[in-house]
Amino acid sequence: MEIISRLPRHVACVMDGNGRWAAQRSLPRTAGHEAAEAAVIDIIEAARSAGIKWLSLYAFSTENWRRPAGEVDILMRLVRRAIRKHAPALHTRGVRCRFLGMSDPRIPPPLVRDIADLTTLTSDNRQMTLTVAFDHGGRRDIVEAARSLIHAAVPAEQVTEATFARHLPYSDTPDVDLVIRTSGEQRISNFMLWQVAYAEWVFPPVLWPDFRATHLWECLEAYRSRQRRFGDVRQSTATTGEAPR
Amino acid sequence: MIQTTADKTVDVFGPDSMLRRFVNDARWGFAVARATVLEAAHPQIGTALIENSTFVTHPWRRLRNTLVSTQRILDTDHRVRNRETARLNRLHARISGTDSQGRHYNAMDAEARAWVIATLFESTVTMCRLSGQSLDRPALERLYAEFRTFLALLEGNSDRLPPTLREFWPYYDDVIEHRLENTEAVHVILYRLFANVPAPPLLRNHPAVWAAGRAVAGPVAAAITIASLPEPFCRRVALPDLPGARALMHGAYLTAGLATRLLPSSWVHVSTFVSLLDPDHADDSGPWQTVRRKAGQAAAMLRLMTPAPDKVSQATRSADQFFAEVLDQTGDGYLAWPDLAAMAREIATRLDLDEQDEERLYTAYAAWWRELQTHLDTGGDGRVTRQEYAASAVSLPSLGLVKIADVLFDVTDLDDDQAIDVQEYQRLFRTAFHRDLTGRADSYSRSAFVREFLSFMSGQQHSTAYNTLLS
Repeated sequence: MEIISRLPRHVACVMDGNGRWAAQRSLPRTAGHEAAEAAVIDIIEAARSAGIKWLSLYAFSTENWRRPAGEVDILMRLVRRAIRKHAPALHTRGVRCRFLGMSDPRIPPPLVRDIADLTTLTSDNRQMTLTVAFDHGGRRDIVEAARSLIHAAVPAEQVTEATFARHLPYSDTPDVDLVIRTSGEQRISNFMLWQVAYAEWVFPPVLWPDFRATHLWECLEAYRSRQRRFGDVRQSTATTGEAPR
Repeated sequence: MIQTTADKTVDVFGPDSMLRRFVNDARWGFAVARATVLEAAHPQIGTALIENSTFVTHPWRRLRNTLVSTQRILDTDHRVRNRETARLNRLHARISGTDSQGRHYNAMDAEARAWVIATLFESTVTMCRLSGQSLDRPALERLYAEFRTFLALLEGNSDRLPPTLREFWPYYDDVIEHRLENTEAVHVILYRLFANVPAPPLLRNHPAVWAAGRAVAGPVAAAITIASLPEPFCRRVALPDLPGARALMHGAYLTAGLATRLLPSSWVHVSTFVSLLDPDHADDSGPWQTVRRKAGQAAAMLRLMTPAPDKVSQATRSADQFFAEVLDQTGDGYLAWPDLAAMAREIATRLDLDEQDEERLYTAYAAWWRELQTHLDTGGDGRVTRQEYAASAVSLPSLGLVKIADVLFDVTDLDDDQAIDVQEYQRLFRTAFHRDLTGRADSYSRSAFVREFLSFMSGQQHSTAYNTLLS
C-alpha cells in the first residue's frame, strides 16, 4: 500500500499545449481544444481510481479572454458539450464537480446554467472533488478574499493565514500538493496562487491532448520520490500530502 | 374572546390561538381552495377577481403572498399586524370599478369582506369534520371568535358577521341560498385554474413533467373541491356530481388529517410545502431540505440529459411568452390598467412599502399606463393587445417606465447611497446578486438600474432577476 500512503491529497493540472498539438498537425487551434477533452476524462478517471481525493484542472484563465473571439466562442461550446456529455458518468462515479472563477459576464448563460446544474447534481458526491478553474485568476481570488475580510469587518490583528484562507472561494479545498504543467512550460500563470504555495511542480514535456493515465502515474511517481520540507531544513521526508498549517 | 378593536398591547388571538395553528397546517390548503370557490360565487368578489386578480396567471405567487399576509396579521406584535392590515386596506381600496355588464364592485365592501371571513371559518370547520377531527362547541365558538377578531383587525369592527355562532349558521345558509351566483370566477377556478395551473417555480423548466402530473392532479383537485362544497351551492351552480368523487374527497381529507396527527409537525407545516414548491424563497432549514436538494439534483440531471435547445430560443424570450408571463398579469390576453396595478401591488407587497412610497409607485405605473394608452391603444378599446405592444413598445419614449424604475431604485436603495448593494438587491429580487449586472463592481448605479429595467420591460432583454419579481 505504499502508493496509496504517499499519494498527494490534492493534484492540480495546468492543461497546456493544445494549440501546439494542433499546430504540429496543421490543424486549427480549436482542434487541440477538442482533442483535450479525451485527456481530461482520462485523467479524471485515472486520478479517481488512484485514490486522489482532490483534483483541480486549469481550464480557462482570466487572461484567456484575450484570445480571438472565435476561439473563445468555440471553447465555450466545447466545454458545454463536454459537461452535458459527461455529467451522468461523473455523477455515477461519485465525483463532486465545482467551478472556480466564473464571474465574467461574457460566459454564455446556457453554459452558466449547465455548470450550475452539474454543480447541483454532484454536490453530495464525495469520492473525489474535481475543481475546474474556469475564468480563474489566482490574484483575483486573493483580492476577493481581502474584500470579503474588509466587508466582514475582521480586525487587522485577527487576520492570519488561516482566517484569510477562510475567505477564499471554496475555502474547504486543501492546499495543492502536486501541480502538473504539461508541454514543458514552466510558469505559474496566475493559477491558484494561494493554494500552490507549498506545492511540488512537475513539467512533463507531453502536450495536454496526449497526456494520459500513464503520464499521470509517472508524475505521481516523481512526486513520491521528492522530499518535501515546507521550508524546514531538519525534516527531509514525508511526502504524504499533508502540509503543516 | 370577542374583541371588536385591535388590541395594541396584547396578542389578540391569544398564545394558543386555534387560527394560528390552522393557518400553519398544510391541510388548510384544502380549506382555502374550497373557501375561494365560495368567495368567487359572491357577485362582487367574483367580478373583482376576474377583473383584477392575478390568481389565474400567477397562482403560486398569489398563494405565497396570501400566506405571508395572513401570518403577518396573526403576528403577536401589534405593529406587524397594524402595518399589514393598513397595507391590505390600501391595496383593496384601489380595487373597484364596473365590469363589462355594468355591475359595480369594490374590494372594500364590508359585506363582501365579511363573507370572505365567513367562508374561511366554515371551510376550516368543514376541513376538521372531513378529516375526522371533531371540534366541540367551546372550540367552535373560540375559533369563530378568532375569525371575528381577524375581521375586526381588517375592518375596524366585526359587525357584519353575526355576533354568535348560533346566529352564524342561518346567515351562512342564507347567503348560500340567496346571495351566491353562478359567476364566471367559479368556473375559472374549477375548470381553468385547476386544469391549467402553471408550474410551481420548482418545475418551471420541466413543462412536460408538470403537464403530465397536472393532467391527473388538476381534475382530482377540482373533484375533491366540488365534492366538499355545500349541496345547495352545488345545486344552484349546477356543479357535476361525479361518481366516486365524494369517496375521493373523504380519502384525501382523511389522509391529510392522519398526516397532520402522525407526522412530525414541522413536516406538515404549510411553509414547508411552499418552500418545497418554490425553492427560491425557501430558507435552508427544515425536514424537506433533503427532499428539496434531491429534487433540485433530479431537475439538474434532467436538464443536462435533455438535448440542449437551440441558441436563439435560449437567449431570447419570445414576445408571446414575455407578454403572457410579465405584462398580462390577469391573464385575459390584454394589457390594461389592472395588469399594471397588479405589478405595482406585487412590488409594494414584496418590499412592504409604506403608504407614501406605495403612492409614488402607483403614480408612476399610472403615468406609464397613460403613455401606453396614448401611443399604443390603436384600437381605442382601453386596452393594449400583444400585437399593439410588440409593434411599437420599443419606440416609445418610456417616460413612465423611467419613473417606475426611479421609484423602484429609491425604495430599494434603503441606505440612500445612490447604489444598490447586494443586500438591497436580494430584498428586491429575493435572489443572488445577478452576475451579468455586477461586472467588476459590487453595487449597481441608478443609471444601470434604469437601463436594465427599461430593456426588460420593453421585452428586449431577458433578465432572470426581473422574472422572479414579475412573472
